[in-house]
Amino acid sequence: MPLVAVVVLLTACGDSGPADRMLQQPEDLKRGRNLFVGSCMGYCHSMQDAKKDIPYLFDCEWLHGGSDDQIFTTITNGVEGTKMLGVGNKLPEGSTDTWRLVAFLKSERRPC
Amino acid sequence: MNLLRPVMLSLCLLLTVQGCSDPQPASSPSEPSSPTAGVDPVEAAAPPLPTHWTNEDLSGMDAGPVSPSMLVAGNRVANRWIQYGGDYANHRHSPITRLTPEAVPNLRVAWAFPTGTLGQFEVSPVVYDGVMYVTSSYNRLFALAATTGELIWRYDHAQPDDLRICCGPINRGVAISGDSVLMATLDARLLAFHRKTGQLLWDTTIADYRAGFSTTSAPLIVKNLAIIGVAGGEYGVRGFFDAYDINDGQRVWRHYTLPAAGQPGVETWSGDSYLRGGSPAWTTGAYDPETDTLYWTTGNPAPDWNGDARMGDNLFSNSLIALNPDTGERLWHFQFTPHDVWDYDGNSHIFLVDITYQGRAVKAVVQANRNGFFYILDRSNGEFLSASSYLEQVNWASIDDKGRPEVDAAAYPTEEPSHRVCPGNIGGTNGAWSGAYSPDLKTVFVSSVEACQLFQKGISVYIEGNSFMGGAPQPSDTVSGRAYGNLSAIDVQTGAVKWRYRDDQPMMAGTLSTAGGVVFSGNLNGYALALDAADGKLLWKFKMGGGVRSQPIAYEIDGTAYVAIGSGSWASFETFTGGPANIPEGGHLFVFAIP
Repeated sequence: MPLVAVVVLLTACGDSGPADRMLQQPEDLKRGRNLFVGSCMGYCHSMQDAKKDIPYLFDCEWLHGGSDDQIFTTITNGVEGTKMLGVGNKLPEGSTDTWRLVAFLKSERRPC
Repeated sequence: MNLLRPVMLSLCLLLTVQGCSDPQPASSPSEPSSPTAGVDPVEAAAPPLPTHWTNEDLSGMDAGPVSPSMLVAGNRVANRWIQYGGDYANHRHSPITRLTPEAVPNLRVAWAFPTGTLGQFEVSPVVYDGVMYVTSSYNRLFALAATTGELIWRYDHAQPDDLRICCGPINRGVAISGDSVLMATLDARLLAFHRKTGQLLWDTTIADYRAGFSTTSAPLIVKNLAIIGVAGGEYGVRGFFDAYDINDGQRVWRHYTLPAAGQPGVETWSGDSYLRGGSPAWTTGAYDPETDTLYWTTGNPAPDWNGDARMGDNLFSNSLIALNPDTGERLWHFQFTPHDVWDYDGNSHIFLVDITYQGRAVKAVVQANRNGFFYILDRSNGEFLSASSYLEQVNWASIDDKGRPEVDAAAYPTEEPSHRVCPGNIGGTNGAWSGAYSPDLKTVFVSSVEACQLFQKGISVYIEGNSFMGGAPQPSDTVSGRAYGNLSAIDVQTGAVKWRYRDDQPMMAGTLSTAGGVVFSGNLNGYALALDAADGKLLWKFKMGGGVRSQPIAYEIDGTAYVAIGSGSWASFETFTGGPANIPEGGHLFVFAIP
């Protein structure tokens, strides 16, 4: 296993915040999925590793940090110099929806 | 035509790239600044890369400015190809008679030219006065000697890193008028260059790209106006197309494709959804000089795959609009796909054709729409005449006798989709590639994707400049290997499919028809193709390398017939339709010749 992946995995395993709690709540995961499908997929992120120029989010390679907090921050603030803008607090249910997105991404993550 | 001096100059300019001498970038104040602008040259780690090579040797370019009458004549003169559609009617039909089924097996490579860029190479080159103008992905513009490929001048547009482009760094070509060559850019600007020297004449901002706008198509010149529309249907923009004075780049009019409050059509949008309803205008229209009527088409309403917040027909998305070209005033419209939730943009290639329909002469406009149906309309008033499927798989709707879809309830996107809907979101055919029309055969030739999808609906959130799609098509056929393509010949008087050429990959390249009875195109496996226009028989193919997404053209100079086709696809997009992901990217133009 590559060192980077080990670090990411260890970091991710240390989380026990809102996303982990939502992992146990089917309604939160469903809403996180619908948010992802409606606002992150389309011509952008894919749930298949289709060799697109936009990062695939269900493997162990994170360009901007793979901890829950780092993913939350990336979704909130966006990525400078790319077409991914931050959602800020503009999701319908604010940061709760952002955490649901984080939880959904974790729920679909492939084993590293 | 003596091209010796431009060739010598271009070689010299190319050498400057190697650092042998000082580059000669244009001195226009609007030239993109270099990464080291404002930095002491001594401190700069490396000299800035040149982005603009001009040409001061004008010898050999003697044909004079491109006149309005030349544009009306279009490519009826074989030594030029001066519009995206070949002519104002968008026929893309070359008058060259020597490009026959018997002759095309003798095609040989005359020259080739690399773009140096990745992404789809979708250009339809323009040829005039012995010079070919070629745009690549990321808005490089090359002026090349049309018989040899020697570089005459070149401009590389500096792009921001955060472009708002849904579907690749595309450009489909330039427009030419007078002594100006015009290119629209991914950051939503319109640039004019002197056709001989490459000097920048003016640079106009169409819109703020950060709000979700971009431009990818070739402008259309009508009289003194350059008409260009925006992309941005996946970003919830308020779509429009503009007319700019070709002399100074000043905007003359803007036609919004969405109504404003109080305007007709706003009642077709629930709430205030019309404010971010997309309906872009990202392809090139057509013009009828006889009636002085402009025809333009529009794309999908936003968000693409969730229409819950925009109930109603969503005018004027997915429509054909007839306008007064001097004012941009709408004369009539026809909407192909009301309340679209599949991304069936209504802006694939339109053809102005004079036909006999059910025994009467009709000045028609026809289109193979992305939604899978071939439409015949009366272009004098927008009257619907007929619609029929040109695909082998269409199940989302049937069309009633007024031209309105009767949608299968199972075709609407859901959170847990399980129903294969045909065609998929790319079509059918698509505005990203052109069609061709043979007036001799009364037949249009269009490439198409045969792939169905599961349409999934999600929660859409509008944030200016961010993607606003509301769902996603699930690639059912594309991952299962069921996707394939056809190049179809369609009778414009009946809508009947005369023949199909089948390819094992989706077909996503433009077409060219010749008076000699040949149809040119290409496939995603990287082959240039020539088919017999009469029956679709494969006559010739040539492996160019990259997948073909470009629009072929033909021209004739000094007794030699040339066919230009670009290769270079973008796996990130083609895999969306089931295309191959293992062919490397990189644009390359091939020009074939028959003496």
